[in-house]
Amino acid sequence: MNTELTPSESLKLIESMIGQAKKSFSRISFYFLLWGVLLTAAMIVTYLTGESGPSWVNGMAWGVAGALGGILSAVHGARQSKTEEVANPMDSIIGWVWISFVITMMIVILCSVFVHRDPGAMITLLTGIPTFMTGQVMRFRPLVIGGVLFWAAGIVMHLTADPLALTALYCGAMVLGYIIPGIMLKRQEDGLRTP
Amino acid sequence: MAFAPLDPVLHNQLRLAVVSLLIGVESAEFNFILEKTGATRGNLSVQLTNLKDAGYIAVKKSFRDNYPLTTCKLTAKGLKAFETYVEAIKGYLKT
Repeated sequence: MNTELTPSESLKLIESMIGQAKKSFSRISFYFLLWGVLLTAAMIVTYLTGESGPSWVNGMAWGVAGALGGILSAVHGARQSKTEEVANPMDSIIGWVWISFVITMMIVILCSVFVHRDPGAMITLLTGIPTFMTGQVMRFRPLVIGGVLFWAAGIVMHLTADPLALTALYCGAMVLGYIIPGIMLKRQEDGLRTP
Repeated sequence: MAFAPLDPVLHNQLRLAVVSLLIGVESAEFNFILEKTGATRGNLSVQLTNLKDAGYIAVKKSFRDNYPLTTCKLTAKGLKAFETYVEAIKGYLKT
C-alpha cells in the first residue's frame, strides 16, 4: 500500500477514509436498552400502585430506576472508555446533548414537584430532542423515528389525564423509541447487519 | 499553467490514508488504523514513523492491561499540510 497515486485516486482515498472515521461511533445501544427497560418498568409500577399504593412508592420506582440506571451507565461508560480504539468528536457532541437533556429533565422534575404537576408529558416531549439528534448525527433512522414518536407521545400526553392512556403512551414511546432502536443498533454494532 | 507540487510525505497511499482517517477523529489507536487501512503491521509502523518524523502526527506510547498501546493524533502542522495537499489535488483535477 505504498504506490504512487493519481490526483483522482488521492481524492477517492481521502473521501473513503473520512467516511470510515465518521462511522466510528462508540457503542451506545447499551444505554438505550438499559434506560428503555428501567423507565418502562418504573412507569408500569407507577400505574399499578397509582390507585391503591402510597404516593412514595411511585416516587421510589422512578428514584430506583434513575439511581440504578445512573450507576450502571457510569460503570459501563468507564469500562468502555478504557477499551475505545478511537475518539470521535461526534461522540462528544452526542454526549453533551444527553447531558443537556438530563440537566433540563432534572429542572423540569424539580419545578413540577413545586407546582404539584405530573412532569411525565413534558419529559416525554423533551426526550424527543436527544433521541432525534443522536439518530441524525449517527444517521440511524430508527432513532430518528423514535425521537419523532417521543414528540408525538408527549403532545398526546398533554391532552389526557387518564392514567392508563398516559402509561400506554409513555411505555409505547419507550419501546418504539428506545428499546427497539436499541436492539437494532446492537445488532448493527455486533456486525450482524450493516446500516 | 504551473501545478503546485504535491507534498511527498502525503503523496503516498498509506500515509495519505492515515492522515485522512485522523482528520475525522480526535485520536485513534494503532489497531483501529490497521483495521481501517488494511495495511500490514510492519508497513503501518514504518509509515507512522515517517509521519511522526515529518511532524504531521503525534504518537503516544502507553500500556493497557500490560500490552503496549500506540495512539496517534494529527498535529496542527499535519492538518495544514493536509489542507495544502487537498488544494493542490483540486488544482490538478480542474485542468
